[in-house]
Amino acid sequence: MSDAAFREEVVRLAGDEIRTCIQCGTCSSSCSTAHLMDNSIRKLIRLVLEGRRREALASESIWLCTSCLLCTVRCPRGIRPKAVVSALRQICEREGISSRDASFERIFMDQIRSKGRISEVLLSAAYALRNPDAAVPIMEMGIELLSRGKVSLDPGTVKGMDEIERIFRELGND
Amino acid sequence: MTEIAYYPGCVSKATGREYDISTRSVARALGIELIELDDWSCCGATHVPNETLAIGLAARNLTQTELPVMTTCSICYSNLRTAVRRLEDNGLRARVNSVLERKYKGARVMHVVEMLSESLRNRELPIKLSGLRVTPYYGCLLTRPGNGIDSPEHPKVLEDMVRMLGAEPVESPLKMLCCGGPIFMPREDAALESVYHILQSAKRAGADAIMVVCPLCHLMLDAKQGAIERRYGVDLGMPVLYITQLAGIALGLGPEELALEMNSISPLPLLERVYQRMTGD
Repeated sequence: MSDAAFREEVVRLAGDEIRTCIQCGTCSSSCSTAHLMDNSIRKLIRLVLEGRRREALASESIWLCTSCLLCTVRCPRGIRPKAVVSALRQICEREGISSRDASFERIFMDQIRSKGRISEVLLSAAYALRNPDAAVPIMEMGIELLSRGKVSLDPGTVKGMDEIERIFRELGND
Repeated sequence: MTEIAYYPGCVSKATGREYDISTRSVARALGIELIELDDWSCCGATHVPNETLAIGLAARNLTQTELPVMTTCSICYSNLRTAVRRLEDNGLRARVNSVLERKYKGARVMHVVEMLSESLRNRELPIKLSGLRVTPYYGCLLTRPGNGIDSPEHPKVLEDMVRMLGAEPVESPLKMLCCGGPIFMPREDAALESVYHILQSAKRAGADAIMVVCPLCHLMLDAKQGAIERRYGVDLGMPVLYITQLAGIALGLGPEELALEMNSISPLPLLERVYQRMTGD
């Protein structure tokens, strides 16, 4: 994918208003994880607009976004920075750029596609299998929840699985 | 009897069980019939980066009923509301409808906070939570991305609720800082840091308890509180109650109906204070 094609794809996925970004930094200053990021959200949008594909996709910031939407509420240009992050996550996943964060999203979506609902136990177990260093905090959490009667393997079954498969197949190819 | 379709969301079956149990008990006490949404499925939470797919998943749930759809989870609520707004676009609506079993024709979405605000107003409560200092924790998605229940910058709906229950709202400066829940598994350090600051801020504000409106916020503030105490070497012991648990106490419901024993930081000592004051009066 050329750099210009990359820019145009993000714009198509996240909205044309991205082109109007004035780099004011309201998004970054509203961000609860900004202090942990390599590129601020403001910078990330700049990388996209300059077509700097490799830098944008390699940025850890994509995965530190908590989806809190404060940037989206505040942007004076009506840009949805979270949508930019989502577009970049989507491109990373499509291009097989793997990370622990991408694996979490993949497991989460696979579970919706196969079961219709999320079982937190199965989600945690599948994630810990792929990322063994996460096993200890997950086990600690599991023990705490188990002692409170809040662990369940079965989130119930969904009858309309054909419909869910159709949603993934037909709407998931943007 | 008012009928409302109830979309419990995946978390209600496990880590958020006390929210589900207390929601059902409170609705019963208020004379509201909650009809669990037929064949509901996951809304996608914050983990479906493809927006069209996310809207499809949310819309499927909205086509399962003609009734208003109530949810207790702020993530589900934000996703369902976003879907309703985006589906005003006829092109997108036609595309989504082409894959759905039943056609989406518009829907009304509400959060349990709205259900409680409407039905508790002008209602005489058997138990006043007077003397309890409660700090509401809004988190993110109850009010975002906007045009919903209250201002995303200066909301007051939860302070009003605390007052309605007879308790005293306490202002905590970090009441809208994200709990980090959506990234807590792959990015534990980042998430725990946020929660630590939120809990400290509530403590410094002099709160007896935090009131929450989202099961993921609750998981982070309550179930993870022990891990935070160990990691940061602090003693917090801050009870974190769901809005439905606090409302249930004020409605005179018992600890079992509100599943109070499922909270990691026990709210029972607080409850004893409320009852003692009642018998002392």
